[in-house]
Amino acid sequence: MFRYLLKRILIFIPTLLVISLIAFGISKLTPGDPVTSCGNLGGQDKTYLNDYFAAELAYNQRAQSLGLDKPSFYFSFTSRAYPDTLYKVLNHPKRAAIAKLISRYGNWPQIDHYFKAIDALEIASYQIPQSEVKNAKIEIRKALSQLKINYNDKRVNYEMKALQKVFEKDSLVQKYVGQESKALFLAYDQMRNQSSTSKLFQPKFHWYGFDNQYHIWFTKFITGDFGYSCQDGRPVKERIKRAIGWTLIMNIFALILAFSIAIPLGVFSAQKRGSRFDKWTGLILFVLYSLPGFWVATLLVIFFTTPEYGMHWFPSIGLGDTSTDIPFWSRFWDRASHLFLPIICLSYGSLAFIARQMRGGVLNVIQQDYIRTARAKGQSEEIVLWKHAFRNSLFPIITLIALVFPATISGSVVIEYIFNIPGMGRETIAAIYAKDWPIVFTILLLTTGLTMIGTLIADILYAWADPRVNFKK
Amino acid sequence: MLFFNKNKRRKAEVALSKGGVDSISYWAIVKKQFQKNTLAKWALRVLMLLVFIAVFGDFLANDKPIYCKINQQSHFPVFKSYAVDMGLAKWPAELVNVDWKDLEYEQKILPLIPYSPTDLDLRNAHFKSPFDKQNVKGMRYWHWLGTDELGRDVGSGLIHGTRVALLVGILAMGVAVLIGLFFGVLAGFFGDNGFKVSRIRLLLNLIGLPLSWLLAFSARKYQIMETGNFGIEIIKSIFFFSLILFGINLIARLVERFSFFKKRVSIPLDLGIMRFIEMLNSIPGLLILIVVLAILEQTSLVYLMVIIGFISWTGIARFIRAELLRIRSLEYVEAAQALGYPRLRIIFKHAIPNALPPVLITIAFGIAAAILAEATLSFLGIGIPLEKVTWGSLLTEARKNASAWWLALFPGIAIFVTVTVFNLIGDGLTEALDPKMREQ
Repeated sequence: MFRYLLKRILIFIPTLLVISLIAFGISKLTPGDPVTSCGNLGGQDKTYLNDYFAAELAYNQRAQSLGLDKPSFYFSFTSRAYPDTLYKVLNHPKRAAIAKLISRYGNWPQIDHYFKAIDALEIASYQIPQSEVKNAKIEIRKALSQLKINYNDKRVNYEMKALQKVFEKDSLVQKYVGQESKALFLAYDQMRNQSSTSKLFQPKFHWYGFDNQYHIWFTKFITGDFGYSCQDGRPVKERIKRAIGWTLIMNIFALILAFSIAIPLGVFSAQKRGSRFDKWTGLILFVLYSLPGFWVATLLVIFFTTPEYGMHWFPSIGLGDTSTDIPFWSRFWDRASHLFLPIICLSYGSLAFIARQMRGGVLNVIQQDYIRTARAKGQSEEIVLWKHAFRNSLFPIITLIALVFPATISGSVVIEYIFNIPGMGRETIAAIYAKDWPIVFTILLLTTGLTMIGTLIADILYAWADPRVNFKK
Repeated sequence: MLFFNKNKRRKAEVALSKGGVDSISYWAIVKKQFQKNTLAKWALRVLMLLVFIAVFGDFLANDKPIYCKINQQSHFPVFKSYAVDMGLAKWPAELVNVDWKDLEYEQKILPLIPYSPTDLDLRNAHFKSPFDKQNVKGMRYWHWLGTDELGRDVGSGLIHGTRVALLVGILAMGVAVLIGLFFGVLAGFFGDNGFKVSRIRLLLNLIGLPLSWLLAFSARKYQIMETGNFGIEIIKSIFFFSLILFGINLIARLVERFSFFKKRVSIPLDLGIMRFIEMLNSIPGLLILIVVLAILEQTSLVYLMVIIGFISWTGIARFIRAELLRIRSLEYVEAAQALGYPRLRIIFKHAIPNALPPVLITIAFGIAAAILAEATLSFLGIGIPLEKVTWGSLLTEARKNASAWWLALFPGIAIFVTVTVFNLIGDGLTEALDPKMREQ
């Protein structure tokens, strides 16, 4: 038993690792710039508009504080065309543009040269006196900022032409940035003409070590530091701590309700197999099983929580406001009245499933030899059923917890959204609408962990309850 | 001698295929058993009706007439719109961008519901109930199932939603079956000791897989992503990928002559795949579906189907594995092995066909689950193109206005009926395929 437990826990760890890798991989695929999409840089952008260097500095600081200045993983396996230090380019769109250019031309030195030429021109353009050619300065900078993040020929040519036009129009500009602009055009031509695509086909393995984004993210995650929410900058942990309580309360009550109704129902309908009671419960359970939870929830919300149809029996959705100075019991009843419908919605699906399984289990056990023996012994039907059949058919039901638990957790995503319960599910949906990825991935990993723990508990219960189960294998 | 051998083998093969399990009568039995189950029989009939609605949805609910006569000229606008969509024809000048409802017809045959699902009937906007006073030209134009906030006809939306639901359900399961079959066969047929490769082949393949990925896909990223012909380039890449792997295995074959490299190692496929499935099963399905779909910048039904397929293959793989574990020790597989058939042939011709029937059950339940997932996602408004009218998106409209009971009721019934139909068929198949039940 102990060895089995140890083995299960040992499996638990690689599973969590793989899932963390999947989550991290997906998080790297999220669209948009992680620096500007997460955080309040957007608001400050305007003040930095006139001061390019200050804006860049702020951007880089933000990127550093998010840990984006580190390589993303322990190692990389790419072609030799890509430099090891590409991650040091902090600007996300710029890095994407560089990577695209490398994938096309394969000549990092020339590309590097080209981007340096852009920077040089930018710095030089600052020396143009404000008073003389104000428009030219703005146009040059506009074109350059586009050149930095674009890789597509058409767009780059367009911006290059725009630059050339500015230079042709104003001889004064030539005086200040003539050299740099020539260098830029030259660098661009060099990059295009001296491509070395053969380098793309040479594999290269590079080891970055433990100071990488994944390692830091995962070690922090294990120690309970989930990062910060993009919506309000508060720690994810704080937000989830409140939410997980509601989800767990709802799910546990729903499971208790489901099991406590389903088990007797299954036993009775197995006992009266073929009777009218059995047929009707079978049909009703089947219908319940097929009823989509979000539809039932929507119907309940519409009919029972609004005064529209004269059946306003439950308070409107949400948890309501209860201040802490009301006595405990009235607060309890208030909460219960809010949670009643969602718990019903969560539980009826599993209820139908468990009852059907229970009926099958009892029917299976009744055919066993020891039941026949018990009957032959002259035991009353009640004792046969409850003492012999019931107990033995209960074992497989325990493993159902492992099946039902993840389903209710998943189900509570939609139910919480519909009933506006501030649990993990609603938090997930809200975070997805707000593109608040740190919360989304934390919840993904946490629910996975919860599911695994649920499975583990079910396994242990099964082993503890049924001595026939052999775990030595 | 050789010829004789071949002849003999062919004879044995014929005997094997005939005698396997009387394949015709087996299905006949299953069919008979299935027909006995009244509920399942009716479910199948309802399913046929649903398929009919899905296929001919454009003729049942459309703003264009099926047939009309304008200025002594006959038109078949619904057919024509198919041709126009395929680029085979063009609308005549007088019919480009017309409002079909305001045209003057000499003769016309309207579809059952003369509205398309995206048709905005502004005169009947803001949630018109079926029993409300509707501002329509005549009973023929009545919104029998009401309208939503924008004045879209609910009935038309339901009919066109059928196509989306069935398409997603069936194609998602198609993807799942392909993946599940692959892993299930690997795990079940080979088990933990059945898959043996030589040391050198294992080593070279372990090195070769990432290498050929790099050469065929990573190095050609520009050609694939940026040159605009994604389809051709990706096929080229897949070709290169397989070519390199093939080359590597060729080399392995040559090196295998040395006895050290020749030593065979067995790969515990079953263990590995079952662990993998266990791992996947601990990720809450709906959650990962929502997250992945939210990340994709474009929304498309194809993505939805593929992703649902990718997360729901584990059940099928498990079923196939269990079946193959049983089948591979049966006499006819042993006989085929004794005849010296190649492994692939035994798998595809003898093992898989006999493992498939129980998988049908999982497929039926899986389609129900996929349809439910699609409805849930469109209810939440994640991952489904906004302009697409689906059952879930209609149901969401109900949340905007509590008095619009028709928006809550009808789409829900549609989802419920479809899901129930597939569940009933799954139940019926379970009974029909169960040999214990058959004997009775």
